[in-house]
Amino acid sequence: MASAAARSGLRSLAARAKATAAPAARRRMSSSAHDDAHETAKWEKITYAGIVTCTLLAAYNLSKGHPHFDEPPAYPYLHIRNKEFPWGPDGLFENKHH
Amino acid sequence: MIESQRHSYHLVDPSPWPISGSLGALATTVGGVMYMHSFQGGATLLSLGLIFLLYTMFVWWRDVLRESTLEGHHTKAVQLGPRYGSILFIVSEVMFLFAFFWASSHSSLAPTVEIGGIWPPKGIGVLDPWEIPLLNTPILPSSGAAVTWAHHAILAGKEKRAVYALVATVLLALVSTGFQGMEYYQAPSTISDSIYGSTFFLATGFHGFHVIIGTLFLIVCGIRQYLGHLTKKHHVGFEAAAWYWHFVDVVRLFPFVSIYWWGGI
Repeated sequence: MASAAARSGLRSLAARAKATAAPAARRRMSSSAHDDAHETAKWEKITYAGIVTCTLLAAYNLSKGHPHFDEPPAYPYLHIRNKEFPWGPDGLFENKHH
Repeated sequence: MIESQRHSYHLVDPSPWPISGSLGALATTVGGVMYMHSFQGGATLLSLGLIFLLYTMFVWWRDVLRESTLEGHHTKAVQLGPRYGSILFIVSEVMFLFAFFWASSHSSLAPTVEIGGIWPPKGIGVLDPWEIPLLNTPILPSSGAAVTWAHHAILAGKEKRAVYALVATVLLALVSTGFQGMEYYQAPSTISDSIYGSTFFLATGFHGFHVIIGTLFLIVCGIRQYLGHLTKKHHVGFEAAAWYWHFVDVVRLFPFVSIYWWGGI
């Protein structure tokens, strides 16, 4: 008799758990859509922060001007030419006019 | 999907693109070798091969988009294919770039007598890592943040925001490529200047090439998002582009630390 009562108690507990689990699961789904909206706004802000940082860094960096280098001595391992390219003696991006 | 089909797999129709892509690759390789050895007609064969390859890529991917977006053949089971494929492709790309960093480290950790026994080699002018290289390093992760913004916007069903986010992603990518071009233009050395030039331009150049490929991939995703191809539940192409983009922006940190900074001071 006692075990039957316990069993029915357990069963009703399980039923209640199931009943509460279902809306909980549904709530989680709707909140995950909410999470995505929240995450969208968060990453939008992070992107803007990145753009502002990069812009400031670019303004500072480019205002410094660019460096000039002296021609190094003609060491044998510099400006290596083994044979001509089909378009001429120099590589396509190798002409330096500084 | 066809009503009578009792399985979730996509049995593809016969297609001419595998053989046309193979012929394009053959013509590109043979034409490229002929051109570099100054054979007559080499440039023509190379150009034809490249046009053939680019045409094949366009029509093949067009067919895949029709099969997935318009005909609904890409079920959950079918989507696993491109997912595994993208991941394996990125893993192979990691190995590819790893080889260049290996070459750079191999040459710089114990510089040979022929280059003066020092790194950078004697006479080589190097870029200041704290100028353009430093400036270019946070641009790609910012672009990575923008693609994450786009991803959440797609999941949240904010279609217009996702397009804006992809435009921001692509613009940051183009700015990064522009600065890379400026850096190369100002660089005191070229790829033919010793082992330093070879390893520097091979590693940074191939990274830059990957940035360009990723940018094209993201542009295609942006157009598809604008056209409403991507849904909350099905956007495998976008996911692959985002994975690839994160690979490219994380990999940028390695040349900055090991080649520009450690290898340039």
